[in-house]
Amino acid sequence: MGRTVPSVTQVFYQEEQALNRFRRALRRSDQQVLDELLSYTRQHLAAATYATHVLPMELFFLAMLLEEHKIVIALRQRLERLEHKQDD
Amino acid sequence: MINNEAWLLDVFEDLQCPGLVLWFLTSDGQRLRLTQPFPVTFYVAGKSAQLREAWKFLKEQPAQPKLSRQSKKDIFLTETIDVLAVEVNAPGLLPRLFRSMLNRFPNLTYYDADIKLPIRHAARFNSFPACYCALQYDESGFLHTIEVQNTPWDLDPVYPTLRVIELEPDCDPFRAEPRFLLVKVDGKQYRLSLFKKRPLLITLQALLKKYDPDLLLTRWGDTWLLPWLSNLAEDLQLPLWLNREKTRHYIQRPERSYFSYGQIMYNGQQIHLFGRWHIDRQNAMFWRDFGLDGILEMARVTALPVQQAARSSPGTGISTMQILTALRNDILVPWHKQQAEQPKTALDLIQADLGGLVYQPWIGLHRDVGAIDFISMYPAIMVRCNISPETGKPGLLETSPEPQGLIPKTLAPLLEKRVNLKQRLASLPRWHPNRKLDAARSSAHKWLLVTCFGYLGYKNARFGRIEAHEAVTASGREALLRAKETAEDAGFQVLHMYVDGLWVQQPGKNQPEDFTELLSEIASRTGLSIALDGVYRWVAFLPSRADERVPVPNRYFGVFQDRSLKVRGLEARRRDTSPWVTRLQMDLLEYLALAEDAADLPLYLPGAIAILRQHLSDLRLGRVPLEDLLMAYRLTRPPQEYKVKTAGARAASQLAEIGKELRPGQRVRLLYLRGGQVRAWDLPQPPNPQTIDRARYIDLALRAAASVFYPLGLPEQDLRDWLKGGIQLAFDFALNSQTQHILLPPFQEEVAWQTIPSRIRLPQWNG
Repeated sequence: MGRTVPSVTQVFYQEEQALNRFRRALRRSDQQVLDELLSYTRQHLAAATYATHVLPMELFFLAMLLEEHKIVIALRQRLERLEHKQDD
Repeated sequence: MINNEAWLLDVFEDLQCPGLVLWFLTSDGQRLRLTQPFPVTFYVAGKSAQLREAWKFLKEQPAQPKLSRQSKKDIFLTETIDVLAVEVNAPGLLPRLFRSMLNRFPNLTYYDADIKLPIRHAARFNSFPACYCALQYDESGFLHTIEVQNTPWDLDPVYPTLRVIELEPDCDPFRAEPRFLLVKVDGKQYRLSLFKKRPLLITLQALLKKYDPDLLLTRWGDTWLLPWLSNLAEDLQLPLWLNREKTRHYIQRPERSYFSYGQIMYNGQQIHLFGRWHIDRQNAMFWRDFGLDGILEMARVTALPVQQAARSSPGTGISTMQILTALRNDILVPWHKQQAEQPKTALDLIQADLGGLVYQPWIGLHRDVGAIDFISMYPAIMVRCNISPETGKPGLLETSPEPQGLIPKTLAPLLEKRVNLKQRLASLPRWHPNRKLDAARSSAHKWLLVTCFGYLGYKNARFGRIEAHEAVTASGREALLRAKETAEDAGFQVLHMYVDGLWVQQPGKNQPEDFTELLSEIASRTGLSIALDGVYRWVAFLPSRADERVPVPNRYFGVFQDRSLKVRGLEARRRDTSPWVTRLQMDLLEYLALAEDAADLPLYLPGAIAILRQHLSDLRLGRVPLEDLLMAYRLTRPPQEYKVKTAGARAASQLAEIGKELRPGQRVRLLYLRGGQVRAWDLPQPPNPQTIDRARYIDLALRAAASVFYPLGLPEQDLRDWLKGGIQLAFDFALNSQTQHILLPPFQEEVAWQTIPSRIRLPQWNG
């Protein structure tokens, strides 16, 4: 619908489109990783909307980092548990 | 002089002498026709030289208007303005006078120029459809005083007992030629042949005369029946008193397609009667949602005449209410809004041009989840923060010291009535006869309140202002985030948030009382009322169909503590899904809803698959009636304008070939045939059942089933393989981030099938 400013979701889809050439040039395996990173961003579009940042792409990167770091934390905890078990 | 008490049925212009005709239903059951003088006024503003010229012009008009100079309030201006008041004795002359003014002086500003008579009457006498009034009139039927005794805000209004005649052809006239007219009146039923035209009209006229109904309730009365009967009566030169006011012909309003909330909608031609209501169930916008009770409620609170309330959108209702508030508070109603949006910087726009917050839920199955919703969030914000086009911009969720603005003034009583009705509804036991009535009325209110917010932002709405609209969403976002913070402070996890609702979870909290404290804390932090929608035993949020890594905000299903299901965004909720697929999906969900605990769900999987197999075999054996396979697609443009010929467009073209034109916004019903063909259902001959594209329907069924099985951990492809004849079914069942590997040998389905309750086992083919 006729909006003056594109919504954050619209910006996200535009950025995704803009990455198409980059994505195409990646190896198939890397393309899948890129898609996963983008899906991380999509989970935080509501927060990015609320932030009303002039450059939403920065928040998109941050959302990817955030999800990445969640995985790092989960893996770290799992590793600690395993090491703990081995020590017993 | 006669004193009497009566309900008001209809108000319209008197053609014999200047004034109004009013039809009443008296407390002792008489139908009373009275007349009342009713001068009406419109106002003109502009440069004084031009106004002087307009004055001269008006003096020469045959309508003989009374002219005066007055000082009035325009809501968008701080100072009062000088206007030329043009008063006409005969209300019927106003539209023509206004048009000729407009042609001559297009640059003047006009106010109160296009307000309908019943609304003017409502503003002056506090009347509304079916209001109860004390009347004083003389023998000639001349009304001297009218005092309205009740208000639209009574929780239990006393309704008049209406006499109703129901008329209905024996089939859809746009699908086949009807042969009979079914008439229901006073507990009796008549079946009149449409081919014996003279006896038909004579009988019908006798019934109309004998029962003199207040309401003609028809199907296809707008689009076919009443014009057809009326033409017939004219051809045969027989009397047919469709109107109670016998000197009038009915009003015919043309059909139209329009764009609303992202969809093309269609509204058929309308037939309005005088002194009697005509409601066409096929054409009444919300008949399906809230029936006659809701329509009457809509008419009462908006003051729109019943026949109009039945057919218009809630947007018309809410703008009428605003106009009424303006008239009652001596505020001018602009004919066309003049105010343009104030210029904004790009940064302002980035910060303000936002809607509600829509989060992505955590995909998968969750146990013991509380769903909480703000009650009518946006209207409540408008009332609390006094958001109106003429008031200043409020702080987030803060109250305002200014006098109450036009919009809050309009909404406050409606909101209060809705909250009271909802509270009463919650306290009534399930069997209580008033439940249905209260629910119908409360849903009529809901639509009005929902639309009100949109009308603040609509640039052509007379009392719209985009800044007010933005202030509402800003406070809405603030309220949602405060609610999130409150929930997190109380140790809850927030699974999902959607504009005005939250889904929260905390282990061990699964009773309504476990959420009371949270609700009152949110209410005190936001100043808005919030209620528990229910506690889910379990709820499953689904991913997007296109990419299963991506959650979508409004695709979920869950089971409340009382075993009732809530389903959103699934195939079963879509109006284009065929009834067979809907039934299948709902059977699966109802069966899974039997699980006491989410952890038991895997035990119910074999039975669910058995149910799915049963439905599929029904289809293969041709036991599914063709009607249950109908898809119904809404047309978004005329069929020839589609670039890609969708199934709907192709079916619509088939109908166009035999002369049945469909308009954008109408639905076309069709069947999928083998070889990628479609066939419109409204073609004269039904298709051969052998030609149905079963594979296509099986595919649709499996997709719908996969939506249900997905959150249990069974992917669509595995399901398809298993149904084709897998040896063993293995999947990972995940609940609260713990995963369990489950293996199912095939014989379990047979065992489970024996235990399935018969209401799910026996297919219910009732169309």
